[in-house]
Amino acid sequence: MTFNLNRRAVLAGLGAAPLILQVKGAFAASGFPDKTVNLVVWAGAGGALDTYGRQLAELLNKEAGWSVAVQNRPGGSGAVGVSTVMTQPADGYNILVCTGTLTFGIAQGLIPFKLEDLRYVRAMQAEPSSVAVRADSEFKTLNDFVTYMRENPNKLRVGGHAPAGFHQYILYQLAQMGDFEASWIPHDASGKVPLSLLGDHMEVAVMTPSSGLAQVESGEIRLLGVSTEERSEFFPDVPTFKEQGFDIVDSVWRGIAVHGQTPDDIVAEIQKAIDKVEASQTWVDFQAREKQENINLAEDAYTDLVKRQLSQQTDFLKSIGLVQ
Amino acid sequence: MQILLDTLSVLFSFSGMLSIVAGVAIGIVVGALPGLGPSIGISLLIPFTYAMTPENSMLLLISLYMAAEYGGSVSAILLSTPGTAAAAATTIDGFALTQQGKANKALAVSLSASTVGGIVGGIALLFLAMPLSQLALQFGPASYFAVGLFGLTSVAALSGGSIVKGLIGAAFGLLLAFVGIDPISGMPRFTFGQIALFEGVPMLTVLIGLFAVSEGFLLAESAGKKSRQSVAKGAVRAVYLTFKEWKELIGTMVSGSIIGTFLGILPGIGGNIACWVARDFTVRRNPGLEFGKGEPRGIAAPEASNNATVGGAMVPLLSLGVPGSPTTAVIVGALVLHGLRPGPQLFTEQPVLVYTILLGLLLACLVMFVIASLSLPWMARVVNLPDSVLAAGILVFAILGAYSLRNLAFDVWLTIGFGALGYLMKKLSFPVPPVVLALVLGYLVETNFRTALVTSRGSYSIFFTDPVSVIFLALSVASIVYPIWRAWRSKNASAA
Repeated sequence: MTFNLNRRAVLAGLGAAPLILQVKGAFAASGFPDKTVNLVVWAGAGGALDTYGRQLAELLNKEAGWSVAVQNRPGGSGAVGVSTVMTQPADGYNILVCTGTLTFGIAQGLIPFKLEDLRYVRAMQAEPSSVAVRADSEFKTLNDFVTYMRENPNKLRVGGHAPAGFHQYILYQLAQMGDFEASWIPHDASGKVPLSLLGDHMEVAVMTPSSGLAQVESGEIRLLGVSTEERSEFFPDVPTFKEQGFDIVDSVWRGIAVHGQTPDDIVAEIQKAIDKVEASQTWVDFQAREKQENINLAEDAYTDLVKRQLSQQTDFLKSIGLVQ
Repeated sequence: MQILLDTLSVLFSFSGMLSIVAGVAIGIVVGALPGLGPSIGISLLIPFTYAMTPENSMLLLISLYMAAEYGGSVSAILLSTPGTAAAAATTIDGFALTQQGKANKALAVSLSASTVGGIVGGIALLFLAMPLSQLALQFGPASYFAVGLFGLTSVAALSGGSIVKGLIGAAFGLLLAFVGIDPISGMPRFTFGQIALFEGVPMLTVLIGLFAVSEGFLLAESAGKKSRQSVAKGAVRAVYLTFKEWKELIGTMVSGSIIGTFLGILPGIGGNIACWVARDFTVRRNPGLEFGKGEPRGIAAPEASNNATVGGAMVPLLSLGVPGSPTTAVIVGALVLHGLRPGPQLFTEQPVLVYTILLGLLLACLVMFVIASLSLPWMARVVNLPDSVLAAGILVFAILGAYSLRNLAFDVWLTIGFGALGYLMKKLSFPVPPVVLALVLGYLVETNFRTALVTSRGSYSIFFTDPVSVIFLALSVASIVYPIWRAWRSKNASAA
């Protein structure tokens, strides 16, 4: 076996070193970036968002020659991550890696910022929610679950990642349409959700299929439905919510944003680098392997999306009395 | 058999050994520096691994993980500055020994215990991964609550004489643990509008402030009174334990290792909690010994336990594909970047990689023992520096550590504030460890208490129907009642 630690890897490592050494990144030719760019991931290390952030960091380094450091800033439904970026200068060196729960946090006042405080640079992947049960569960379809919930109010333990986030929203919508009540068991890491399901501490989880991928693929966890428009190419045997009579089509996007006052020329540099990432074969393979839709929305479309989601979710939260 | 041979040829290849040696060396430094821990260390190294084979990159990362759990104790012992949260419990007896001029002995105990802990955890991972992961699944919110509560009962043992002062400290620690986003409703509380406090009071600012900065202040004070004095004098020799010391301590090391392994497999519990539980267990097992004043068992137990959590934390990762600690979560990220998914299927798809991780973890412990024992005599000389130099050094390290945590000046002020508090506490002989213990366990206890009640719809019966919860609640009650009953009986006996 050869030791194939090549020069680029050494440079990449040096690029990460500034956290300790403050060595200047030496490989950007001109202008932005002339030092290490921080990718501020607003979730803990190891989840789907973190994996995306780290793959992005690797490709920004490999395809665009940037020196990139990943920082995890979990907490407060994303408030901590947003504030990390907002307390730094608007120079593009701190890029927020965030998800669709952003609009939730803002609608509920959990993230004490306005939508306009950020510039939405690119939405890069999207993943549906799903209703999941253990293999030995009596529920085979979404209707089995909904009917049981209606006839046995609050009998089942249902939960998922984070309080007041995307998955809880999916459950709320389902509860509205199916006319049932359910409380929500929040978990502080998405990895704990399948464990809680497998250990019989919950009967039903609302989660992104990838958070328990090993168990979903082995059949230990059964998906009752997914929230995509059409059947997902990755889980062709799992019916959508829609085809089971529940018109909930929603995906959680993952993308990047920067401080709202970041100048246009810097945002343009970031866009160029992201284009290179999107074009690479490694990225395409990564998306397929991680079972992610490649949505690739640039600033205008992305900003429209978050605006629309914010207004829908605010209406929804008002209608159920969570927001005045 | 072929798999084993392939694995060994990876491990003992030049690149394999180089990965382990580099991982261990970096790990010790990363662990010893306050503010950098195993998960940050691994995050920093991930870019290096892009171009390496998956096997070598895993060897690098797990060696770093193992060595960083040990490295934290070096600065804890020599400078009263726990390099990682998992080394906090080591500071108490470790720094006490240093002040007596026995830094060598403290370092020798810590290194040997860490090695034993790492090996026990590694062996458990190698042979018991599947059954242990099934055990981890049994732990629901009620069980986590009960385990955390049991941990809190060790406040008594950490109070150093005055239980009341210990309880005041613990209450203060719990108060700090409540700061931040409410884990169930997601609303911020006790943050005074400070966004920097949304993720809670950072553990390391409290640790570094209370332990290190306060010690820096005390040293500066004593240096002002007398000129040119050092913490301790004493020849710096090699750091090996004698046969007699091994015999004395091996029981403590093994029990600490077992505690660490079990706590390590539980997601959300790591070395930062295991170190206190293991120390408490040893304190209770040896009522005749004087802990807190340089008892080697007070180093052996926490150090064995925090290294044992490494093997434990790899259990859910390899057997279920779900990381059990922040550090293993970063390791998942590294695997994914190599196009691999951790989980049971990895045993059939990538057996050589899995066995490289399993055996590499054990090999890393041995390499760690060799590298550390060669370098420690040099590091230990730091205590021969004059107090004034040492005080300045500790303060600089502490402030750097506090800043490198999140690059926030806020954390620096917080650390200095806790330093002043720690200084006052030490002057008034208030024990510092209960504050830290309560802060470490506060989040675990509160989150799981409330999650359990959401799960049971407000019925407290959940704590008495869950078998694990019942066991640990009973242990908690016993650990409070038994010493009181014993004291009452001995009082009666002496009165009669």
